[in-house]
Amino acid sequence: MSAPPREPSAAAPEGAAATPDGSDLTTRSAVAARGSLHAPTARSWRALLEPVLIVAIGAGWMVYVRNTHLDSIAARVLTLDYVTRKTWEHVELTVVATLIVLVIAIPLGVLLSRSFARPATPFVLAVANIGQSAPAIGVVVLLAVIFGIGFWTAIVALVAYGVLPALRNTMVGLQQVDPTLTDAGRGIGMSATRVLTRVELPLATPVILAGIRTTLVLMVGTASIASFISGGGLGDLVTTGVSTQRTPVLLTGCILIALLALLVDWVGGMAARYLAPKGL
Amino acid sequence: MNFWEYLSSRRELLTFETWQHASMVFQCVVAALLIGVLIGLAVYRSETLSKFATSTAGVVFTVPSLALLGLLITPLGLGVAPSVVALTLYSLLPIVRNTIVGLAGVDRTLVDAARGIGMNRGRILLRVELPLAWPVILTGVRVATQLAMGIGAIAAYVSGPGLGEQIFSGLARLGGANSINMTLAGTLGIVILALIFDGCLMLIGRLTTPRGIRA
Repeated sequence: MSAPPREPSAAAPEGAAATPDGSDLTTRSAVAARGSLHAPTARSWRALLEPVLIVAIGAGWMVYVRNTHLDSIAARVLTLDYVTRKTWEHVELTVVATLIVLVIAIPLGVLLSRSFARPATPFVLAVANIGQSAPAIGVVVLLAVIFGIGFWTAIVALVAYGVLPALRNTMVGLQQVDPTLTDAGRGIGMSATRVLTRVELPLATPVILAGIRTTLVLMVGTASIASFISGGGLGDLVTTGVSTQRTPVLLTGCILIALLALLVDWVGGMAARYLAPKGL
Repeated sequence: MNFWEYLSSRRELLTFETWQHASMVFQCVVAALLIGVLIGLAVYRSETLSKFATSTAGVVFTVPSLALLGLLITPLGLGVAPSVVALTLYSLLPIVRNTIVGLAGVDRTLVDAARGIGMNRGRILLRVELPLAWPVILTGVRVATQLAMGIGAIAAYVSGPGLGEQIFSGLARLGGANSINMTLAGTLGIVILALIFDGCLMLIGRLTTPRGIRA
């Protein structure tokens, strides 16, 4: 599989991409998002090249695999109808889980970054760090033991796994807002709420959007694990491929998951580029 | 059987799997560190090559672990080989990126000064550039280790070694008596291992950061 071109400035090596406090995993795309804001717009056609390439590779693979000699088991799984349904389930898992994560993480992050909650911040960040080291598959199976298997358990597992990094990014994003700017906001007579909505949140948007992008990609990956607990999605093709020892089925599952992740990453990158406030 | 009874009855197996997990992660991260620093050294002088290396690593990183493991089954079969390759590949990304960022972040005036007092290229690299970039590289190693811990659990699906075995046994016996104990043992074991490794790396960072740039 060839590597689709990323945004030209996404990988600029300069800048504080890696601070020695371990936060670079989540801030990586923050730097990318900021970099791309300054990318010349004349190159925007290159941004469209990536999704077109991804979809073309996916379609090309499906055409290729359907024209190879498939035995009856593989042929029954690899119908266009079934594969489309599984892809759609995967998208559904990803989108529903990401929306719930955002509804929980952003207000909670805002609340925890208010001055009265400041003493709790290092504690919450520490818990978020420890929670992130829990393996996704462990979280998924534990929740299946507790709630039983199925779509909604998969959603709960995805949310449990995704909420910590998103929360962390929201808090870090709000923390890095220059305090002199919030002071200035108070100085010209804004109320605390107005400072939040007019100064802090707009300035934190690039980091929060980068967090959403990371969450989306994380959710695509974790959703593929959800098939272990009957959550549906493209992981089903992987497990079917392994258990029936049909390599074409396995490869189709893996390739489509990988392409979906790259596509979702592109969508997240575009959102980060176009939703960020102008002038930053 | 409650959780503690389970732990004590399977003590030998659990110790063995924990050891396997730790040793797999350690070896993969060390391999990734060697390869990653070499890649970083090879590309950091050219901006184009740096961008290419970082974006390629970024694409690999975006691919979910289950998909990469599945893709590796075809050429490598089941077992240790695909797990080790996948873990090393994922660990490479943060290490390559941080090596490039760290080396590019070294103040050029310091390199000039080193050349001015008569150091050659190799000595500048070993005595000035790498020591100054080391804290950033080590941060990459910490991220890579945490990542490898979690992906190591999924590696059990392709019959890889380690604590993931417990989680998948729990999954296979879903609803059975010991399923929660197995899953919990695997998950908590990995969390604890991750914390121990992170603590060790922090300590290594303290001890190996040159005195002049210690915070």
